[in-house]
Amino acid sequence: MRWLNLLKANFRKEYIEMKRYFPNTLALLVTFYIIFLAAFFGIVFIGDPASFEANVQYSIVSVVFWSLTMLTMNFIGFSVVTEAMRGTLEQLYMSPMGVWKIMLTRIIGQFALQSILMIILLFAAMGTSGQWLNLNPMTTIPIILITMVSMVGVSFMIAGLAIIVKQIQAFLQIFQFVLMGLVFIPLSVAPILAFAPFVKGVNLVRTVMIENLTLSEIAFSDVTILLLNSFIYFILGLIVFHRCEKIAMKKGLLGQY
Amino acid sequence: MEKIIEVNGIHKTYVKRKTKEKVTAVNDISFDVHRGEVLGLLGPNGAGKTSTIKMICGLLQSDQGSILINGLDIQKKRLKALRHISAVLEGNRNLYWRLTVRENLEYFAGNRGLSRKEVHAQVDKLLGQFHLKEKENELVNGLSRGMQQKLAIAVALLANTDVILLDEPTLGLDVEISYELREILKTVVKEEDRTIIISSHDMPVVQELCDRTIIINKGTVVVDENVENSLRFFETRAYSIKLGEPLSREQEKRLFRKFPLCNYKKQQKQTIVEVNLDRSEDIYELIDIFKEVETIIDSIDRTSIDFEQVFMQIVKGESIYEMA
Repeated sequence: MRWLNLLKANFRKEYIEMKRYFPNTLALLVTFYIIFLAAFFGIVFIGDPASFEANVQYSIVSVVFWSLTMLTMNFIGFSVVTEAMRGTLEQLYMSPMGVWKIMLTRIIGQFALQSILMIILLFAAMGTSGQWLNLNPMTTIPIILITMVSMVGVSFMIAGLAIIVKQIQAFLQIFQFVLMGLVFIPLSVAPILAFAPFVKGVNLVRTVMIENLTLSEIAFSDVTILLLNSFIYFILGLIVFHRCEKIAMKKGLLGQY
Repeated sequence: MEKIIEVNGIHKTYVKRKTKEKVTAVNDISFDVHRGEVLGLLGPNGAGKTSTIKMICGLLQSDQGSILINGLDIQKKRLKALRHISAVLEGNRNLYWRLTVRENLEYFAGNRGLSRKEVHAQVDKLLGQFHLKEKENELVNGLSRGMQQKLAIAVALLANTDVILLDEPTLGLDVEISYELREILKTVVKEEDRTIIISSHDMPVVQELCDRTIIINKGTVVVDENVENSLRFFETRAYSIKLGEPLSREQEKRLFRKFPLCNYKKQQKQTIVEVNLDRSEDIYELIDIFKEVETIIDSIDRTSIDFEQVFMQIVKGESIYEMA
């Protein structure tokens, strides 16, 4: 019950803040749409006409996923930095629920809200390009949710770093391009990336949407790798976060910015 | 009385980032706080108060020693111990400025695992008690500093914890709001059996609210005493001497050399010397200064003293008080 109350409180806070910062939210959506347009017109003008459809479909899924990974993976890190700047971070640490639970419920709330934005972006991109993907929600939603777990793990690692270092904005900006690379590079080109967080999931969703696959048509080994990958990154994320918390408490860094 | 907080021999040393030099912030501090007690934690800037408070809250790990909150070790069972304690650490900065007054109260309750329904009545009560009812739907951003400070304290009270820690509750507030806040805190102390630890430089707050004070200086406890006892102790050594004529330059020099904190007022018809003596026998030295040129002494009276003067005396001459 306490978990549920925590989730409700943090979902409500995220929703209220998103509403109050609506111009920001809108600007974010427009920015991602412009990025898609740049990719789309690039394909139109300089792409190979023979593979036009496949390339556009690939870029639609990639841009949407890049936006989602960027918002999710940077979220807790940004949250920690913002809370430290506002002066509320120590107050969160006074909660008997534990900060990792607060952050986890916040990210769940954020993810739910961002998913709405991403659906808008997806339909805007499909409408603009005239390329309609097979959404297959019964297949894509479980894969996205499992993939999300690994993203949360990385997000906790970044947050741990933010607790100690605080000024990580520059790192997060560079990190966006690393994420872009991970999302856009197909696993067939670099199979080793299956060990990186979320790449396997993004690849699976892309395949499902473009090739119209169902859950039963996905190889068992692919699902196993995805599950293992997400579980390992999530646990690693929590371990790193707790370790960083301990260091911050020992050195007295929680209240500093 | 039951002990709710037990601080046993805590130490904290920081390492300076640039020079790698070790700085001891807290050096072997021990004290207990009893249930229902209002304790003032005082000390000059850099004395080690904040480090002590943060260690009690579990936000800072001590190098040695232990802190028990209701029998739970804050370092080993931090989350369980935090169920018994809430705090206002950075005043109005502890709030979400883009949420309304009510939303802030509900959000912090939710963060402790409480539902909006559970705290509804309590939120209404606090809004009334802190005179925030009319502002409940306003963004914190638009409130005055005093209102924000009141809300921060209301947030700390909402959790119904046994212990509340208030770090500088009246810092930066004007006289009127500071007085209002003091009155509200007095009501809380009177009506609710909570243990409150107040760290403040606002001595009227300490004098009015606290049962007991601990004064920390240079990382150690220099005084752990009942407020009334401290006042009584110093009251017996505060004198106002009225002289029939001004002192000579030599006498003035001697006076300030021996009693640098004394107050010397030269008026048209009378000269007044106000002094707080470290030792009762110092009165003889004072008389000696007047005797030097046989200055006329009209009267010698004991003066009243407030806690601010007591604090200054202790911080400047801590060893004397310790001996006493």
